[in-house]
Amino acid sequence: MKNDLPGRGLILNYVAALAAIFSLNFALPRLMPGDPLHAIYGDEALVSMTAEMEAHLIKQFALDRTWTDQLAAYLMGLLHGDLGFSYYYKDQVSAVIMGALPWTLLLTLLALAIATVIGVIMGIEAASRRGRLLDRGLTASLMFLSGFPMFFMGILLLLIFGVSLGWAPLFGAITPYSGLEGLDYLKDLCSHLALPVAALVLVLVGDTFLITRSTAISILAESFIMTARAIGCSEFKVKYAHSGRNSLLPVVTETGMRIPHLLIQTLFIEIVFSYPGVGSLLNTALNSRDYPLLQGILLLLTVLVLTVNLFVDLLYSKLDPRVRYAH
Amino acid sequence: MLRIRNLCVSFGKSEILQGINLDLMPGDSISVVGESGAGKTTLALAIMGLFSGSASGEISFLGRDLLDISEQEYRKIRGQDMAMVFQNVEDALDPVYRIEDLIKEAILCHSRPEKKALDERVSGLLTSVGLSRNKGRSYPYQLSGGERQRVLIAMALANDPDLLILDEPTASLDPLTKANIIKLFAFAMSGRMSLLITHDISLASALTNQMAVLYAGRIIEQGKTEKLVKDPRHPYTRGLLRSFLKLNATKDLQGIPGRMTLGLAGCPFHQRCTQHIEICERIVPELVRLNGSLIACHRGGILPLLQIKGLSKRFDSFIALQDINLTLYEGETMAIVGESGSGKTTLSKIIMGLYEEDSGEIRLEGREVGIRSLEFYRKVQMIFQNPKESISHRVSVLDAVMEPLVVQRMGCEEDRRKRAINVIEHVELPFDDDFLSRYPHQLSGGEVQRVAIARALALGPKLLVADEPTSALDPSVQAKILKLLMNLQEMMGLTMLFVTHDIALARKVSDHMAVMQKGQIVEIGATNEVLSNPMHPYTRKLVECVFGSENGICDQRILNDGI
Repeated sequence: MKNDLPGRGLILNYVAALAAIFSLNFALPRLMPGDPLHAIYGDEALVSMTAEMEAHLIKQFALDRTWTDQLAAYLMGLLHGDLGFSYYYKDQVSAVIMGALPWTLLLTLLALAIATVIGVIMGIEAASRRGRLLDRGLTASLMFLSGFPMFFMGILLLLIFGVSLGWAPLFGAITPYSGLEGLDYLKDLCSHLALPVAALVLVLVGDTFLITRSTAISILAESFIMTARAIGCSEFKVKYAHSGRNSLLPVVTETGMRIPHLLIQTLFIEIVFSYPGVGSLLNTALNSRDYPLLQGILLLLTVLVLTVNLFVDLLYSKLDPRVRYAH
Repeated sequence: MLRIRNLCVSFGKSEILQGINLDLMPGDSISVVGESGAGKTTLALAIMGLFSGSASGEISFLGRDLLDISEQEYRKIRGQDMAMVFQNVEDALDPVYRIEDLIKEAILCHSRPEKKALDERVSGLLTSVGLSRNKGRSYPYQLSGGERQRVLIAMALANDPDLLILDEPTASLDPLTKANIIKLFAFAMSGRMSLLITHDISLASALTNQMAVLYAGRIIEQGKTEKLVKDPRHPYTRGLLRSFLKLNATKDLQGIPGRMTLGLAGCPFHQRCTQHIEICERIVPELVRLNGSLIACHRGGILPLLQIKGLSKRFDSFIALQDINLTLYEGETMAIVGESGSGKTTLSKIIMGLYEEDSGEIRLEGREVGIRSLEFYRKVQMIFQNPKESISHRVSVLDAVMEPLVVQRMGCEEDRRKRAINVIEHVELPFDDDFLSRYPHQLSGGEVQRVAIARALALGPKLLVADEPTSALDPSVQAKILKLLMNLQEMMGLTMLFVTHDIALARKVSDHMAVMQKGQIVEIGATNEVLSNPMHPYTRKLVECVFGSENGICDQRILNDGI
């Protein structure tokens, strides 16, 4: 490879995966028995549908024309961000999702960032004190915590800190109609975030900790650690700049692979805390059989997962120069 | 300066280093050699303060006792005043950083120069270790083993340390790269105190002027490198040198029997030593000065087994031997070479007491031998040229081997039989009843010679005088018998006086060589030196005869000409 960028092959892989997802999303409703409009919108939506609306939809999806025209119409719609119309919310699906997505992203990314930073730091510290009290205590307790399902952890936290102790609000992302501004708004936001993020972090941190710890233990036995000590590196630099930096590689891969799982778990947590994110939206869509909304959410989630994976691959080659040449 | 006194290092219950004393002054270079597990690397790590066990004693460096200072202070010394180059170049550099960043880190650990000055120092270091500047942009995995080794040296030299420790620095390099990098090591070591950890004796002799031999955590011999390599005095050092493959050695490789055991009482080497006595098992020998070097051995190193001084013999007016002087050390082989009639066989017969000398003295284990007693023959045995003649055709194999035991009145019948079968097994002969009851004429030449060797070994002798032991055998049998003798030497520490006219054969089996002509020893010395650089014209001609002439046929005129 001539330059330092990852190969075009990597990008192509993702384009292919994306194309496959779009085709599936396009094909599924059309393969279902009966009328595609029926499949796309469901029984209940059709009850309230007028004749002229139906004509408009048939025209929009090009359902009266060949499948190539239909595909073109579908892709054009996607390009314009048109995911369909939500009957329940009486709004464009994309607009509904965009209203919820920031909350989900805030929750997920914040939890992921906190869990990764804490997990890596604790992993490195435990590795350098292998077999001592701190190491054994951390390993045992974090393994115990990571065994919990996240929604259960959420319920537990909600009961203890929300219901019994009353330290944190029970639901939502902000206090409704409070009209708070500036710093107070931020405080309110954080107090609502605290429990759901804590639930995610407590369960997430275990895996990051364990993988960092075991990698750092084997890295600390490498010869270059001895070299670093021999040139007079401080213990802090040995632990973080050498052992830590090398331990990050598997952590990044592992974190990347866990994001889909984390997204799903976040959806449950949102439901537990009635957090107004994509999870709650999905719940509503399911309960009200709002198929266009459901499909839109699922499409968004798959695209999100793909994007994250691409990002992880790019980051990985940045962290380990050897990977750049391996592609 | 570096001063180590009574350094002991242990991991848990196992003691890795015991009572190490070392002194290094600026400009001194010392190599520490020994087999794996002897504690060489532990010694280096103990000096660097990078080992995880516990240490006692004293390591004083630049006026401070390093065993007393805190980790913080130690960190400031490491990389600044003392630096180490590690052995495993594959993994010794952090794979995720560029070379220049690694070298920069070595500098930044100890000082904060400005960016421009720092860059200049890094490129200066890269140039001084023979790397181009743009190599600094590379990552470790993009470099060859030799280049990585250079980077490691640059990192070690980054702060111009007073003490440089090299741990097996060339172990993973090919010979050409190694030859190039040795010059760099010599440059890096000059003007500093340097400690080289290696098992590569040629590297040690190329780079250091002092050498210490480490065995099971103790220094057992120490002295000038040149002297130690040429003339090792401790049996272990000699074994180490014999096991080391060198281009200029002529004798076949020999190992050291047994393996190293840590934590033995007494001398750490006594289990593998062929000359150990009772005291060796109880008391640890002190490292004492002996003939200019230090040695830890109760017996004062390798013992002279046979000393011959001023030996002369005349048969009427014919001078058979004239003023023969030689010393034969325990566990070594001396070849006596020369043409027929030069007095070789006369010499061996005098040693055996078959002829009486006219003047001169023969000492065995330091005591003068007079009339040969039974005890003398228990220690000295002989193998003759023609096995069929030397073994009576009237006795069976078993009786022939048991005969010396009967003569010496050793043990009962059953013991003798056991001992005989034991030695027959040693010389790789079958020991079933059928074979034991055969007579010499029923055996092949090689088998009879093996029986003769077994008979000579039956008493467990120290010295074996072998007079042309293989000249009556065909080449393939000769090779096997020679291998057998070498193995027995390795196993039992057998000393051999090997009389032969075949200089090519002497070259493969002997440590030392004496060249005889007309009853005199005209040249004596280490076999490889005598052969590669013969001083006496007669020796030169003998050598030319065998190795030099194109058709390999010796022209008798060369020998007679001008002598």
